[in-house]
Amino acid sequence: MPEAGTAIRALGLTKLYGAERGVLELDFAVAAGEVFGFLGPNGAGKTTTIRLLLDLIRPTRGRVEVFGRDPRRDVTVRRRIGYLPGDLRLYERLTARELCAYFARLRGLRGPGRAEALAARLELPFDRPIASLSKGNRQKAGLVQAFMHEPDLLVLDEPTAGLDPLVQQTFYELVAEARRAGATVFLSSHVLPEVQHVADRVALIREGRLVLTAAVDELRARAFSRVEVTFAAAPPAAAFARVAGARELERHGQTVLFALQGEADPLIKALARFRVVALDSHEADLEDIFLDLYRGAEARDAA
Amino acid sequence: MLRNAFLKTLRDARRGFAWWSLGLVAMAALMIAVYPSVRDNPGLNELVEDYPDAFKAFFGLGEDVDYTSAVGYLKSELFSFMVPLLLLVAAIGAGARATAGEEEAGTLDLLLANPISRRRLVLEKLGALAAELFALGLVLWLALVAGVEAIGMDVSAAHLAAATLAAALLALAFGAIALFAGAALGRRGAAIGVAAAGAVAAYLVSSLAELVGFLEPVRLASPYYHYAANDALRAGLAPEHVAFLVALAAAALACAVAAFERRDLATS
Repeated sequence: MPEAGTAIRALGLTKLYGAERGVLELDFAVAAGEVFGFLGPNGAGKTTTIRLLLDLIRPTRGRVEVFGRDPRRDVTVRRRIGYLPGDLRLYERLTARELCAYFARLRGLRGPGRAEALAARLELPFDRPIASLSKGNRQKAGLVQAFMHEPDLLVLDEPTAGLDPLVQQTFYELVAEARRAGATVFLSSHVLPEVQHVADRVALIREGRLVLTAAVDELRARAFSRVEVTFAAAPPAAAFARVAGARELERHGQTVLFALQGEADPLIKALARFRVVALDSHEADLEDIFLDLYRGAEARDAA
Repeated sequence: MLRNAFLKTLRDARRGFAWWSLGLVAMAALMIAVYPSVRDNPGLNELVEDYPDAFKAFFGLGEDVDYTSAVGYLKSELFSFMVPLLLLVAAIGAGARATAGEEEAGTLDLLLANPISRRRLVLEKLGALAAELFALGLVLWLALVAGVEAIGMDVSAAHLAAATLAAALLALAFGAIALFAGAALGRRGAAIGVAAAGAVAAYLVSSLAELVGFLEPVRLASPYYHYAANDALRAGLAPEHVAFLVALAAAALACAVAAFERRDLATS
């Protein structure tokens, strides 16, 4: 069911576990219909945030709303959620078919919805006990139960863990299809490349704090190439300070690394004044840009 | 069988249920099969009478028990210890598995991400526990009635039903206590420990109170006392004692709901 408005809103959301882990003062909103990538290293607080969303744990301070409801007071809102836990544990003695039938009933569905078709698409052995399934197949079972009732909101914690590349591709198709159907997708990962193809927006969480949110388009607009130039002799320090579109990133003896945005001509002309021994260029991925932005944000905070 | 958490829990329990049924039936059959030789051996009664009072009290052989009578025999051999023990073990195991078992197995996260409230889950789990327990009681009762009928023991089916029901209610109360401990602590082993310790204490207080004067008032707090005080094989059920056991189960259930609704669920 496509819907205007906000799917998830966190307001000063805080969960403290002693001094070590937890999340601090998270403020973010995920618009309905958006694919939101939630990034951070392991232990940064991604799973804690997700478990707060689902009312599996309760905030120390602040609150969270899902479709405008408090998930603690309104259990029915979970009917609209499809959840894949990061640490997926399934009923070992059931088959994936039985698991889906059970959860379908709990969600008020008459039959297991699209479960059978999804299982076929992911090549999940649907009628074998889960105890006998490989890690990858368990993950598929987790995906099938999350997607089967065509939920308005998918909350997926490290969804591609344990999936081989071909199945990952199918997973990204499923996310894209859900998005086209109007669903909101909240996707956690520890690396950007896993989400950059499907996400509209990404947020970075580090040590329990949200350090940055950015639209993926915005990241793309900042795309740059890395150009590594080796000179016969090290050029003067300020030689490339005023070259349009180019920025000196690093320098090791005769080798200089540039970030190049836009047209290459000004840099080439500037390089031509020196004797160039070798030149190497490659596209930076969004991860580099993202980390670049993150370091910028951190530097501003420090200042 | 996968329509809700209640039926799912019963489905998970079916194999265990078969084994428990087998055990209870075998125990009933064995004890009843031995009875004719006990009955025909009046010397046994004198032997029991010569036991020290402390010993008799501890094993539920009251002052006035005629060990060789059908009621006296069933009471001392089955209902004073073995039947409540087995039903307690079954109930405490199921109570501890209810939420704490799923929490430890890690399936609770996925289950509670469904539109089912924590209160509802606790109620359905206790419902399943009660259903399993009463079904076990029914199996035991049928076995006893068949056995008693077969060798012509002088005890009514109604009184056997009352005694079995009283034992099931005792077990239900401790099953609910195990469920409460598991809901509050999130650990199955701890839940079993708490409930088992409570059951042992209840038994000791009730048994020793007959010997130790100062325990006399305390035994009113012992669920085992309220179980035994029915004297169900002879007199059927006594409403005040049944009410105590039911109230204890209900109180434990209310505490389980309250504790479970407040808690952060553990990650496995």
